[in-house]
Amino acid sequence: MTAIMLLRGVYAVWLREITRATRDRAQLIGGVSRPLIWLLILGVGLNPYFRGEVYGEVRFVIPFTYLQFLFPAVIVLNIMYTSIQFAVSVIWDREFGFLREVLVSPMPRRLILLGKVLGGSTIATLHGSLVLILARFADVTLSIPQMLTALGLMFVLAFGLTSFGVILAARVRSFEGFGVFSNTIILPLYFTSSSVFPLDPSLTRTQMVTAYPEWLVFLMQINPITYAVDALRGVIIGFNQFPPAYGLMVIFGMAVVFFVVALIDFGRS
Amino acid sequence: MSRSVVNRWRAAAVNLGAVIVLLVAASLLPPDTSLSDRERSGVLKLCVPQSFPPLVTGDPEMPGYDVELAGAIASEMGLRLQVNTLPAIGRDYNPRNWSLTRAQCDIIGGGVADSAQTRSFLQTIPTDSRTGWIGISATGTMPETGSVVAVLPGTSGLDRVALSTWLRSQGLRGQLVRSPVQLSQDLASGVAQTAVTERFLANGLELDPAANKAFWLESDHFAPVSTALGLWKGDQTLKRAVEAATTRLEASGSLEKLRKRYGVGAELTLTNP
Amino acid sequence: MNDAAIMVSDVSAAYGAKKALDAVSLCVPRGSHFALLGPNGAGKTTLINILCTLRKADAGSASVAGVDVAKRPTEARRSIGVVFQDSSLDDRLSAWENLEFHGLVYGMAKKSRRQMIETVLNLVELENWTHEIVRSFSGGMRRRLEIARALLHEPKILFLDEPTVGLDAQTRQRIWHYLDRLRRERDLTVLTTTHYIEEVEGADAVCIIDGGKIIAEGTPEALKKQYGQRWLHVVPQNGEALAAIRDRFPQAQLIGTNTLAFPENGEVKTDVIIDQFRDRLAEVRFLPPTLESVFLSLTGRELRDRADGQRDADRAAGRRGGRR
Repeated sequence: MTAIMLLRGVYAVWLREITRATRDRAQLIGGVSRPLIWLLILGVGLNPYFRGEVYGEVRFVIPFTYLQFLFPAVIVLNIMYTSIQFAVSVIWDREFGFLREVLVSPMPRRLILLGKVLGGSTIATLHGSLVLILARFADVTLSIPQMLTALGLMFVLAFGLTSFGVILAARVRSFEGFGVFSNTIILPLYFTSSSVFPLDPSLTRTQMVTAYPEWLVFLMQINPITYAVDALRGVIIGFNQFPPAYGLMVIFGMAVVFFVVALIDFGRS
Repeated sequence: MSRSVVNRWRAAAVNLGAVIVLLVAASLLPPDTSLSDRERSGVLKLCVPQSFPPLVTGDPEMPGYDVELAGAIASEMGLRLQVNTLPAIGRDYNPRNWSLTRAQCDIIGGGVADSAQTRSFLQTIPTDSRTGWIGISATGTMPETGSVVAVLPGTSGLDRVALSTWLRSQGLRGQLVRSPVQLSQDLASGVAQTAVTERFLANGLELDPAANKAFWLESDHFAPVSTALGLWKGDQTLKRAVEAATTRLEASGSLEKLRKRYGVGAELTLTNP
Repeated sequence: MNDAAIMVSDVSAAYGAKKALDAVSLCVPRGSHFALLGPNGAGKTTLINILCTLRKADAGSASVAGVDVAKRPTEARRSIGVVFQDSSLDDRLSAWENLEFHGLVYGMAKKSRRQMIETVLNLVELENWTHEIVRSFSGGMRRRLEIARALLHEPKILFLDEPTVGLDAQTRQRIWHYLDRLRRERDLTVLTTTHYIEEVEGADAVCIIDGGKIIAEGTPEALKKQYGQRWLHVVPQNGEALAAIRDRFPQAQLIGTNTLAFPENGEVKTDVIIDQFRDRLAEVRFLPPTLESVFLSLTGRELRDRADGQRDADRAAGRRGGRR
């Protein structure tokens, strides 16, 4: 197999994921309904509680409106859902025999997995960028370089989370179990990622712990999604709660670690 | 083969197209009632301090840059401007003690700096009027190490500590002056070759524009900031309408005229009243 | 040695404690049609999985087209095409997309890929269904498409695991017709597994496998000559009669619940049985030598166990139920 032949294989696996996902209305509806629920309904609904009635008095001292603050987190939420739901595609291939078609092909398994994860991350990035269409609604303005940086970060994040989905798929037997399972993973991760309520940046650590119980702050600090959301906020609205390097380290770290684990898992199956 | 390619992506394109149309449509929904409320009452309320020249003067003939700007914006939007002068503004370091409420003000003007600190409480629309430390000298540059610099800090919120640190690091000796008159005299008599002051204060100096040049001072610790109109957080629709009106005013050239009139633009000019 | 498309020597494999293959050796010459015949669970699919590198042998070695499947699996995969027992098509894609995927994965260049897709679709007469989504295909169409796909990259060896399960006689015949032509034209080696006797009558060589062991090997004719004998099947009128006959002739083999089979080899005289039990028999029948009777001679069992039909039905139902 020459390099170009291997590339064709990766392309084929990637293309199949794209074709399937863009034809699957149910999945796209999910990709649209989440940003609508979170930005239009929750964001608008909670807006009065975050807007401040007297100058100098707001609950959370962040230099942004609530919608702007929520916006990057909803992108991450959409990416998380799509990436982790990607496991269903992996289970599908395994249960319905398609996996064997690729396993008897001369493509090395690593590249099959790479193609699959790339496909899944492309779809997840697409779903993330659907949220970007609502930027005007959330009063977020993005320059072209900002947009490109955000898309790049979103893709790397999606790559890591998709690999995570593959790892889950190797451990889950049935489709039915997975629906419940994914919700019990995604939502807690999302809620403890400083996504819907900010950890006040202007406070010191001790004050932060006073504002929230220590265990909650601890959960947020060990949750890698916290840093992913933070990195994306840094790019999209120019706001970081943590040193910007943390977010990059976590996003790239997840991509590498999860992909390697997925490789080991996939090689074994 | 082109037929197969078309077939292949038609379903995907239809699905994606539908999704994008839906989202674009959703993004056009108004997220709040701030604009529709103002349109119903027909009034746009601007809160300003008693005096913050040249943004707010209190002089009916020449009421100030921010006041005239807000007036222009209001008429662009088909609203009547109501100016509420609140003496409490600027009296205290903590804006909370100014007791500005949503009921009194739609827009806050007259010296709102477009800084992260302000944006923690308000959303801002920069008005292209700039303030910051400026230098004034015959050459238009800072003098060599060891020279004496006359400093008139004024009462604005600019960071004086940062300025004096910077002057020291440049090896210049800062000498505080009490009033604009003294500053002009020191420059004229050569006691100091250079003066440093706040941008809006410089407008009131009696200096010969031919003999003196003004220039922005910039360092890591301070830089010129833009002043802004402040709107309440969460008043998205109102903010968008105000922004759109500002853009239209800018395009028609009326803003530029206004900036010239009050001398608040990025270009520094010394006037001789 | 060069002419052997498939070499298997002393291959063993086990699922836990259960031995699926026990020191199996066989050699398939190039360009031949080789059939693995045996009941379900005999180890046919396990052997196929080892040959197409989906599973490793616990002991022994195997090679396809001269390439060791354990040592150089990627290279081995290049020269084989596989049609699995269960469908491995993506039923959300069209026929063309399934083939295009396959062509890309096998690294075929655009021009030859497109050309071959057309060729194989014509071959299995699906050219009018090119852009239809596979989900709408009947079982026979799916099978044909899978065979087309397995041939797309022009493999040297084609593995067909129970290729014609669930197909009507006409389709079955047509598929064999294609394959025979390909063997002649391209020197393709075909290895099929089946438990349908009719499928292997036309094979160059048949290997009968049972309980993980090869129990006979040869051309259908040679096997029939060697093991094939006429069999006498008698159906007694009732259980009492059945017991009496078994008492009298202990060598009689029970088939199902009420049929006794006797090899016609001189040990048992047919006329003796008929003489003695004439009044207590419901039916007497002679069976000419067939591969089925060869299998019966070798194992003492009928080839087609009743469970098969049930299993196929289950599988079909499972797929329907699981489809979204």
